[in-house]
Amino acid sequence: MPDDPVIRLPLDPNEEVSADAGKSFEKLRHLILAPEQEGLARLRDRVENPEQRASDLSAVLPEAIRLLRQQGRAEDLAEVLAPTVESALRESVQKDPTTLADALFPVMGPAIRRSILQTLRLLFESFNEAMEQSLSLRGLQWRFEALRTGRPFSEIVLLHSLVFRVEQVFLIHKKTSLPLCHVVAPSVAMQDPSLVSGMLSAIQDFVRDSFQGSQGQVIEKLQVGELEVWVEDGPQAVIAAVIRGMAPPAYRSELVEAVERIHRKFAHQLEKFQGETSPFDSATEDLTPCLESLHREKGSLRPRPYMLVFACVALLLLGGWFAFSARRNHKWRAYAESLGQQPGIVVTSSGRHGGRFVISGLRDPLSADPQALLQSSGLNPTQAEFHWSAYYALDDPILQKRAANLLKPPASVSLGVTDGVLHVQGVAPDDWLASFPARAAMIPGIRDVEMSRLAGASEAEFQRLQGVIRAAVVTFPIGSAEIIPSQSASLKVLLPEITALLQEAESLHESVVINVVGHSDSTGEESTNQLLSKNRADTVTWALVHDGSPRSSLRPRGVASAQPLRPETDEEARQYNRSVTFSIGTTVAPNP
Amino acid sequence: MLQKKICMLGSFAVGKTSLVRRYVESIYSDAYLTTVGVKIDKKTVQLSAQDVTLVLWDLYGEDEFQKIRWAHFRGASGYVLVADGTRQATLEKAISLEDGVRQAVGSIPFVFVLNKADLASSWEVDAGMEDRLVARGWDVMRSSAKTGENVENAFRKLTEKMLGA
Repeated sequence: MPDDPVIRLPLDPNEEVSADAGKSFEKLRHLILAPEQEGLARLRDRVENPEQRASDLSAVLPEAIRLLRQQGRAEDLAEVLAPTVESALRESVQKDPTTLADALFPVMGPAIRRSILQTLRLLFESFNEAMEQSLSLRGLQWRFEALRTGRPFSEIVLLHSLVFRVEQVFLIHKKTSLPLCHVVAPSVAMQDPSLVSGMLSAIQDFVRDSFQGSQGQVIEKLQVGELEVWVEDGPQAVIAAVIRGMAPPAYRSELVEAVERIHRKFAHQLEKFQGETSPFDSATEDLTPCLESLHREKGSLRPRPYMLVFACVALLLLGGWFAFSARRNHKWRAYAESLGQQPGIVVTSSGRHGGRFVISGLRDPLSADPQALLQSSGLNPTQAEFHWSAYYALDDPILQKRAANLLKPPASVSLGVTDGVLHVQGVAPDDWLASFPARAAMIPGIRDVEMSRLAGASEAEFQRLQGVIRAAVVTFPIGSAEIIPSQSASLKVLLPEITALLQEAESLHESVVINVVGHSDSTGEESTNQLLSKNRADTVTWALVHDGSPRSSLRPRGVASAQPLRPETDEEARQYNRSVTFSIGTTVAPNP
Repeated sequence: MLQKKICMLGSFAVGKTSLVRRYVESIYSDAYLTTVGVKIDKKTVQLSAQDVTLVLWDLYGEDEFQKIRWAHFRGASGYVLVADGTRQATLEKAISLEDGVRQAVGSIPFVFVLNKADLASSWEVDAGMEDRLVARGWDVMRSSAKTGENVENAFRKLTEKMLGA
């Protein structure tokens, strides 16, 4: 073992020492210093022997790591160990992928399942949110905005429900203004980082130059509408974050931390930067955490219970209104249809207009009143509006009304129209009757008049009187021409009829002769019977003349049994045949 | 990816913007030139199998109203100095601008481009002058934004100089 110069005792070279003394001294020295020397040798061995050192370190390493964690410095260790662990993993995979795969197998299945579940949950959440939005008033507004701007609805929802979202983060080399690294949030349109970084720096220069800012000062925030650019300055590089919405002030500290971290990690590369950006590729992991976003409280977007109730009530009301409206419209249509079937009404159009039901068409003034029909159909007359053009209808019922209006027939005359032909029947006063044919011909729509059953009043009376007189029978006892008292009374009743007949005949300019015909039964001699029957006729004639009838109008004659009133099958018939009857002969009298 | 910041420098209306317009990627309008005083464009040059992205700072041409903002030169790896061959005065201006760059950021690589080579009949700059500049160590090229002559070459040459190839 070589002597250590440090622990060797200084000896005076000029001192003479005997060999014995030297030996003794050596012994003494050994006695005094040997324990320390051995201890030192053991220590040196521990320091210089790698195996021993490793063994020592292994004894304290776990404790050291535990202490680091207690001191809150675990991240430092992680940062230091990460590259080694990464390269170890890489090497392991390169050597034999199955080792790592086997080790990871138990955790990969659950991890993948969790990832899928998470993705699905997010998908459902965004779907739910979109559904909620589409059903609200605000959702409709956003849908309109999407239509107006031509952007997808999902993007509009995202924009409005976001409090803020960091869309892009640039790491820019300060001196050259070149982009070192750039991260962008999903589904955000990306600009060229080189151009944006350059222009951002140019604007910084422009503002500084224009407003005499000093070289160290930077614009910390640019704002355009809802877009902001936050710039965090560092000695060698700046971070620019493009933010949509209102980021909280606390976000600034994240940018500060990121700038500091990057300067710590890439101090050397930033210093020596000559345009090669690949060393900064790993800065992505420092920038990506800055791509934050915060959505509005979900609660405020959920439909509240009262809104649900309101929506249900509104839906019910809407449904009720639709049903009511459909029913009302159906009633109106039915009314318009029935109106069109009315004689004298032609409906050309009908429908709703400005909250009212409007019906247009042609209408004969004599047709039924649409308003009256409306009331009977249970509809609100104030909601109806009619536009009629007048015309002459040719429907039979209307023609009949028109004829009645124009002719004004007496109650004894009835009118009817069939296929345009006016049928008139009854007894009319002579003056009405006199003007009737001319007036009937003037009625619009009447093409013919049938009046065979229409008679004048005088004529009718004349006919009636004739009937009465013709029906009268004056009977006589057998073989006698004397008027018995009962028959005399009948004759007296007949007298005014005869007088009236003669008067009517006169007014009708007719000459009337009343034949007084005497009859006998068939018993006895016919010549006797002839005489008897003639006597009977004379008796009656004279009785009438006696009571006031003009003789000139009475023509008595006997026909014996030649014109029996009844076949003489029994005594009663024979008795009936012993009588006087009347027949009437008329000739048109010459005008006086 | 290798990126280099370069500047376009020259008098007003020598054709800097026209020179790059057909050969670059741009997202900004020319209006930035008159407002901010600079417009950023991008051009990728391939040099010995390596893509180099040139970020072009097209500076507003100096005139009596506006001076060059030398701050824009900060961090530039090189520049294209442009003069109008049909106007002698722009060449003299270019010489003084080159001096200005040296004072502002030191000596950095550049190429000198005499633009509007297609207008031979109005050419003012004499060949002797060009020779004198070459003698000073300048890379002098005649270019035409109209025909495209030497435009690519100018950028390639500058890139070579910047990379020290």
